Amino acid sequence: MAGASSWGELFGHFVNRNRKSLVALVALVAVAVALIAVRDCAAQDSQWVLEQSTLTYHVSHPLHQVDGVSHAARGKGVCHAGECDFLIAVAVKSFDSGDSNRDLHMQQVTKAGQFPLVTVRTRLPETLAGAATINADLEVEFAGQTVQYKQVSFQQVTEGDQVRITGAIPAKVSDFKIDPPSLFTVAIKNDIPVRVEMTWQRAK
Amino acid sequence: MRGFCLKIIALVCALLFAAHSPAFAQTDGSTPPAPTDGQTTAPSGSANAPSLEDLGISSSQAQGSAQDQARLDKRSHMLKIHQRLGLIDTIPLAATVATSFGAGGRSTSNDWRWTHLALGSATGDLYFTSAYFAIFAPKIPGTQVKGPIRLHKALAWIHGPGMILTPILGAMAFDEKSKGERVHGIASAHGPVAIVTAAAYGAAILSLTFKW
Repeated sequence: MAGASSWGELFGHFVNRNRKSLVALVALVAVAVALIAVRDCAAQDSQWVLEQSTLTYHVSHPLHQVDGVSHAARGKGVCHAGECDFLIAVAVKSFDSGDSNRDLHMQQVTKAGQFPLVTVRTRLPETLAGAATINADLEVEFAGQTVQYKQVSFQQVTEGDQVRITGAIPAKVSDFKIDPPSLFTVAIKNDIPVRVEMTWQRAK
Repeated sequence: MRGFCLKIIALVCALLFAAHSPAFAQTDGSTPPAPTDGQTTAPSGSANAPSLEDLGISSSQAQGSAQDQARLDKRSHMLKIHQRLGLIDTIPLAATVATSFGAGGRSTSNDWRWTHLALGSATGDLYFTSAYFAIFAPKIPGTQVKGPIRLHKALAWIHGPGMILTPILGAMAFDEKSKGERVHGIASAHGPVAIVTAAAYGAAILSLTFKW
């Protein structure tokens, strides 16, 4: 009992002597907890879903100018801690150039049987949500190759919970180690820019 | 003592704050710092990045098969041979048409007629070899035929039978000519059938060459 009493006295004495410090400690802990709560609330995951999309590749040949269009892309964005990770995927065979024979040949040269998807990944800071222009670093996986495109410019228009993105990915046939198809021994041009038009919806 | 306590308090608060921060909690260094100047980073291997499963794409859908690619490769390979032989075939075809003008003389033995026959035979051989590669190229399931290839295939219904009929009628005409007879009956259709066949064949090539 005597020990307990002496411990109690010692604690009381300590409290009396360091009252201000303890008050400051409690206040600081409270502030820290509040900051953590605020930061965690702010960093809570939000998501984006690709609502509509039109992806168009363009191929140039002296005899033909070809546009292949796909509306079948799927995409999702997950925002966390101020950054949003986006993934867009589209089946190679969903691109339609208006000529099924050419489309099948395109699938053959791009190895779509083995690698049926094109995927694009990017990370954007959440602060760019309202920007008119986004410069995104893209990681494109296509035809069994992964290629990085740095600082690709996209225009962005925000309408309520929807964001419309337009731009072009400066893809090249050689980037993906594709043998350029030819007609009458003349190969297509190396540039195959992919025009991107997407509407993203913030998930409720 | 007071200063020491304040330092401890500050340190504890800082550690408490930092311990909950995911950016600091990362230990593998794989997550790059958040860019602040509008630049972005492609998030290869990010923990928060969505996956293909999140998009409703199963791993089996994401992974192709060697068989599918082999079918596409075989199809393209066979159609390239079809295209090459078809284009080469235009040479003896044009020569056959050119020699036809001298093949219709009244003589029972005419060099032009033999040359015409030989060139026509070569045209037919190349044509049917080329057709074999088109007909037996693997079909890709789920493909809806559209575009100029429809016209190309439709024209085959004209030049295909034409390529069968023309040499039969030509043989009949040749036989009649060899006997010193005037070409008559169905054999007299050899020329018109050949012209329609050659025209359909040329149109089939052009249908894939130029954009309509």
